[in-house]
Amino acid sequence: MAESLFSRKNKKVFKDGLWDNNPITFQILGICSTLAVTTQLKTALVMSASLTFVVAMSNVAISLMRNWIPSKIRIIVQLSVISLLVILADQFLKAYMYDVSKQLSVFVGLIITNCIVMGRAEAYAMANPPWKSFLDGLGNGLGYSGILVIVGTIREILGSGTLLGAPVIPQSFYDAGYINCGVMVIAPGAFFLLGIIIWIQRAISGYAEDS
Amino acid sequence: MPPQSNRYTFMFAFAVCVVCSLSLSAVSQGLKAKQEMNVALDIKKNILKAVGLKDPIPPEAKAQEVLAIYKQKIEEKVLNSQGLFVEGKLPSDIKEGEGLSPLYVYKEHGQIMAYCFPIVGKGLWSTLYGYFALESDAVTVRGITFYKHGETPGLGAEIEKSWFQNNFKGKKIWDAAKNMLSPVKVIKGKVADSVSEENAPFHVDGITGATMTSKGVTAMIDKWVRAYEPFLGQIRQREEL
Repeated sequence: MAESLFSRKNKKVFKDGLWDNNPITFQILGICSTLAVTTQLKTALVMSASLTFVVAMSNVAISLMRNWIPSKIRIIVQLSVISLLVILADQFLKAYMYDVSKQLSVFVGLIITNCIVMGRAEAYAMANPPWKSFLDGLGNGLGYSGILVIVGTIREILGSGTLLGAPVIPQSFYDAGYINCGVMVIAPGAFFLLGIIIWIQRAISGYAEDS
Repeated sequence: MPPQSNRYTFMFAFAVCVVCSLSLSAVSQGLKAKQEMNVALDIKKNILKAVGLKDPIPPEAKAQEVLAIYKQKIEEKVLNSQGLFVEGKLPSDIKEGEGLSPLYVYKEHGQIMAYCFPIVGKGLWSTLYGYFALESDAVTVRGITFYKHGETPGLGAEIEKSWFQNNFKGKKIWDAAKNMLSPVKVIKGKVADSVSEENAPFHVDGITGATMTSKGVTAMIDKWVRAYEPFLGQIRQREEL
C-alpha cells in the first residue's frame, strides 16, 4: 500500500476525534471521569495521559489481532486487552507518581469501563489497520484530554484560586473580599462547565442532533 | 481449524489469558520494590501528620527530607498486652498473634510531645487505615489521619480531608469528671447543634451523607483507644503524681 503515513486521509482520522467527532462534546462519552478528576489541573493531566495511552495502545493491539479474534468473544477479548493496559498504567502511576495515583484513586481503574476506549476498539480498530487505529485512538484520547484540561484549568482557578498548585489569584483580591467559588470544587460545577463547553463547540461546528 | 469453531474460540481465549496474566505478573513484580517504598514513605508521612509536628513538613519535601525528619523526631516502640515497652523490638518486627502493638513517640528536644498508634476498621465499603495521636497527657487528641480507604469520593472519602481531621484536635478520650474512658465520637450533624457543652469535647461533627463511614470511624477509635488503654492509663497515672 502506497499511502503515506501522514496522508490527508490519516490526518482526517486523527482530527476526527479531536474536533468533529470529539468523544466528550460530540459523543457525550466518558462524562463520569470528566466530572470526577477535574478539580485540579494536575489530576486532569495525569488522567488524560493515562486514557490517551490506553485508547491508542488498545486500538493498536485490537487492530493487530482483528483478523484472528473470534467474533463470538470479541467484546471480552477487547476488554481483556483494555484491562491489561489500564492495570499497567495504574501500576506505573503507583510506582512513579504515588501522590497523584492516590488522588485519582479508583478513576484510573475505571478507565476500563470508559465507553471511549471500548467504543473505539469496537467501532474502529476491529475494521482498520494498526497505524490508522493508532491515529484514531490518539485523536480520541487527545480530544478527551483537551476537554479535561479546559475544565480542570477553569475549575482549579475559580474553585481553589491556584493552577497546578501555585496560587494565581493575588492575595489582594482575597483581602478585598473575593472568595473562591465553592460550586467549582464539587461535581455540579464541572457539569455546568461541560454544558457550556459542549454548547460553544457545537455552535462553532454547526452540529445539531436530529429532532 | 475453522475460525468459527468452538475449539478455536477456546484456544484463542486461553492464549489471550496467558499473555495478559504473564505480562501483568512481570510488571507487578518489576515495580513491586518501588511501590512498597512509596507506601512505606506515605505511612511515615501520615505518622508525622498525625502527631502534628511543630514545624509541619512542606508538601514539596523530598523523600530523603521526610525520612530524615522522621528519624529525628519519631521513636518507634513496641508495647505488649500489659502496655509495657518491649525492649529491642521495632514495629516492623511485630508478627501477627504475638499480642504486641506498635507505638510511635514524637519527641521535640527530648521532650515527649505525642503518642501515636495505628487505627484500622470498617467503613461503609472498605477498610479504613489511619493513625491516631494523643498529647503527652494521654487524654487530649493531637491528630488523626487516614491514609488508605475505598470510600465514596465526596462523601465517605471526606475523612481524608483536613476539615474533618482538624475537628479532632483538642478533643478528649478520657472523662476526668466521671473518671472513665470516653473516646471521641463522630456524631450525625454538628456538635454545636446537638451536644451539650460539657459533652462537646467528646464529639466531633459528622460527614453529611456518610453516616456509615462516620460510625465506622467512631467504632475504630473506640476499639483502638481501649486496646492501648493499658499503656495510656499508666501515662495518665504518672501525670497525676
